[in-house]
Amino acid sequence: MSRRRTPVLGWNLVGIVLFAVMVFPVFWMVSTAFKSDDEIYSFTPTWFPGHPTLHHFRTAIDRPYFWTDVKNTVIVVLITVAIALVLSFFAALALAKYRFTGRKLFIVLVIGIQMLPPTGLVIPLYVVLARYQEVNKLSGVILVYLTFALPFCVWTLRGFLIGIPKELEEAAMVDGSTRLGAFVRILLPLVAPGLVATSVFAFITSWNEYIFARTLLSSGSTQTITVWLSYFYGGARSVDWGAVMAGSTLISIPVVIFFLLVQRRIAFGLTAGAVRG
Amino acid sequence: MPYALVAPIVVVLGAILGYPVYYLVRLSLEKYGLFELIQHHGTYIGLHNFGSVLHDSVFWHTLLRTVVFTVANVTLTMVLGVLIALLLVRVSTWVRLLVTAGLVLVWSMPPVVAVQVWSWMTNVQNGILNYLLTELHVGNFFQHNWYLTTFSQYSMVTTLIVWGALPFVAITVYAALSQVPHELVEAAQIDGARAWRVLKDVTLPVLTPVLLILTSLSIIWDFGVFTQPYLLIGPGQQTTSNYLMSVYLYVEGYGQTNFGRGAAISILMLAIVAAMSVVYVRRMLRVGEEQ
Amino acid sequence: MRYRILAVLAAALALGVVAATAGASGQRAQANTLTVWLQVDAQNGWPNVVAAANSAFEASHPGWTVNVEYQQWTDHLQKFDATIAGNDTPDVIEMGNTEMTKYMASGAFANITADKSQFANSSKWLEGLTASSTYHNKLYGVPYYAGSRVITYRSDLFAKAGIKKVPKSLSQFQADLVKVGKMEKHVKGFAPLYVGGEDWYTALGFVFDYNGSIATYKHGKWIGTLDSKNSIKGLTRFKQFFDATQPKSTANLDGSNPYPYTVFSQGKTAANYGPAWYTCCTGKKYAKVTKQFVMPSHVAGQPMPGFLGGSDLSVPAQSSNKAEALAWIADFTSTTSEKALQAKGNIPNATNLLTNAVNDRAAAKSWFVPQATNWVNVENGNILKTMLAQLLSGQLSVTKAAEVASQNIAQTLNQS
Repeated sequence: MSRRRTPVLGWNLVGIVLFAVMVFPVFWMVSTAFKSDDEIYSFTPTWFPGHPTLHHFRTAIDRPYFWTDVKNTVIVVLITVAIALVLSFFAALALAKYRFTGRKLFIVLVIGIQMLPPTGLVIPLYVVLARYQEVNKLSGVILVYLTFALPFCVWTLRGFLIGIPKELEEAAMVDGSTRLGAFVRILLPLVAPGLVATSVFAFITSWNEYIFARTLLSSGSTQTITVWLSYFYGGARSVDWGAVMAGSTLISIPVVIFFLLVQRRIAFGLTAGAVRG
Repeated sequence: MPYALVAPIVVVLGAILGYPVYYLVRLSLEKYGLFELIQHHGTYIGLHNFGSVLHDSVFWHTLLRTVVFTVANVTLTMVLGVLIALLLVRVSTWVRLLVTAGLVLVWSMPPVVAVQVWSWMTNVQNGILNYLLTELHVGNFFQHNWYLTTFSQYSMVTTLIVWGALPFVAITVYAALSQVPHELVEAAQIDGARAWRVLKDVTLPVLTPVLLILTSLSIIWDFGVFTQPYLLIGPGQQTTSNYLMSVYLYVEGYGQTNFGRGAAISILMLAIVAAMSVVYVRRMLRVGEEQ
Repeated sequence: MRYRILAVLAAALALGVVAATAGASGQRAQANTLTVWLQVDAQNGWPNVVAAANSAFEASHPGWTVNVEYQQWTDHLQKFDATIAGNDTPDVIEMGNTEMTKYMASGAFANITADKSQFANSSKWLEGLTASSTYHNKLYGVPYYAGSRVITYRSDLFAKAGIKKVPKSLSQFQADLVKVGKMEKHVKGFAPLYVGGEDWYTALGFVFDYNGSIATYKHGKWIGTLDSKNSIKGLTRFKQFFDATQPKSTANLDGSNPYPYTVFSQGKTAANYGPAWYTCCTGKKYAKVTKQFVMPSHVAGQPMPGFLGGSDLSVPAQSSNKAEALAWIADFTSTTSEKALQAKGNIPNATNLLTNAVNDRAAAKSWFVPQATNWVNVENGNILKTMLAQLLSGQLSVTKAAEVASQNIAQTLNQS
């Protein structure tokens, strides 16, 4: 199958241009974050920062509530992921290894919930949480995030569990160990990559979430980091674009790292799609 | 045994989702504004909220606008995504790795961050977009305001959304393409089949289910999109003449503390989305049945 | 065995819930904190006045600390609603005078009629502000300050263009601005006047200057009047004025992004129309040449009616620190405080404190929004901004845009 040389070269060129166009916004964000104000507000922009400065990063971090809101986000995300993972693992196990009445209904529920537009539920969740004094508290947001993380985790984990051959499980049982023992010694190591991938996806979804955080958390000290960033511009005087871009860069870093971690699994399945905004 | 495993999740979902859904229906039949919020108690008014929403031309205009917006976004996303996937098959390995890395990077941008980057790039005074277009002699874009008309606002929102959605579509389609049996393609080519016949008889049958799922997911997402239009156009610029469904519901229900009316709009929107999801859910159900 | 799994589950759940509540409870305010919501204007313009009130309050209330949270006009009401829902309201909130009615009618604020005498100059409060905090003859707010709108301009540029006298009429002002604009053409991005097209306080000044109005109450119903003959005249004149003095690209900017005074401080405009305290922020470079005058009417020698904006301070009904909240408000609206606010270019809250400043003169002729319960929804729904963006950008004709807005306003105001 010898392909002719020229077309590949041509396609490569197209590929490189595509890469440049797609990545440009990210590049521009980072580049702006390191520029001096003079360069940022010049009518003739420079591509790279002439004298890279950390000034904007300092401004962003020094803005009120940055660390508080990072802490809030970490708390919300970690607890959501932990609870979602434990609960959904068992449900996924049931889906992957057993047939039972109501299974179909359960699958419809799991997939259906993922399809609900979050905005459609903002109002009732808000009013209900308000009745139980859970508005403007992280616990309220965690509950809401669980509704969306759980179905997604069940579905993803199910995919990983199906891949495990039944014989392995049975082999472990023959050894005379209990089912739980079999689970711990044989299943767990096999599922570990799946658990990691799932939790990373759940992590990213919760980290990026915006509408519920904005609606449910009203004061600076209880907000999450995406809400912090979205309020960045209405700030005093005019917009400090350098600092906004520095803040944006900081917020993206954990997500980028985690994404790279599970990058290979992304191609695995459609499930990853749930990570989209 | 399976019931014990499933029970906790059903209980949790029932409590934190089932109750609010019940409450949504109840709210939609009530007058529930600021006064009622303070009292924590609504007043039953029957179907009045639904009547007033359905008789409001804003609702119908918003619905139409959202449908047009969704069609435009989904079409662009799918066409460009498939083209990128096809490109990935043709390039050298290192270019493929480069482009994939770029796509993953874009994929990992949080939407709120992407919005900030977009508004900076399209800034009236110092936006790079205006500068580039002017330098490339596309026209005089000095201090061009991209948010002046509804159409222009949504062109920007669309580029932002399509940009963010492309990686998912492109990478998934590429993964599906690599499932196409090589021998079949080669056999067909040896038989002298023309390129498009190979595409039609060999590649498409493999791709169709994936494309179907991707399209229905994109439709559902774009129909309910909130963060990008709300933040990019700006909370202070959301009006009856540029609402999308989610924003409409958010502003009329939450923003103006008219929760009863907001609940009615929510129910209508959820019903529309549910109708659209049928195809997807059925397909996934089949996937769930196969073991 | 089933029990073991369930036990593991229960333990994990319990752990999660404990952690969740622990994380959340850390955010709750301490008992002796007075939470005050003020607008960013105070943070930018008069932080020292706030600080002085805080230390006065903390001195007379040992063990108490004041926590001031600064809010944005665009969404402070939504945030406030959220705190009402969660029974977690601030103890004092600054409200725009156009925002009060809906909240007073819903019972969101404490009735402070009986406490009126504890505030300085309360018998001489500005009528406009007192009216905005009164509902069914009960008092729900303390006037904080008012602001009329004046022209802030670069006297050096005006002088350089050969303009010796402050313009006496609108058309003369427009001609002056065009002159300055031509002279400064070499400055990239220069606009003779910078306001932002969606700044409806400016546009409606024109409407009222031509004897137009926004809405009237007749036979138990609100009727939109922006499409009346006089209102259209005003809007048409506004468009003319805008087209001649501002770049079209600002048609849908509402004057908050960028702030007009920022454009001023960057040397990209010769004039702003806005609150008199804009002098705070026009930049060191131009401090000496920053001057002000009253916006002239189309009738020579008259001022154009300006929006009488202002703020009130209210105590949310759910606050459990009402006495302390009132004490803080009393400190913050003391005669000394109000005089300090006046020095920053605001109108103080009582008539006995007024002087002959440009600001006080501008307040002589003013207009206000319809006092309807739902007026705030007209603002939240951005109805006026839409109309202005449409007619300035040429999307719709002046008449058409005004008709649409007028209908929307009537519908919103009449909604039950």
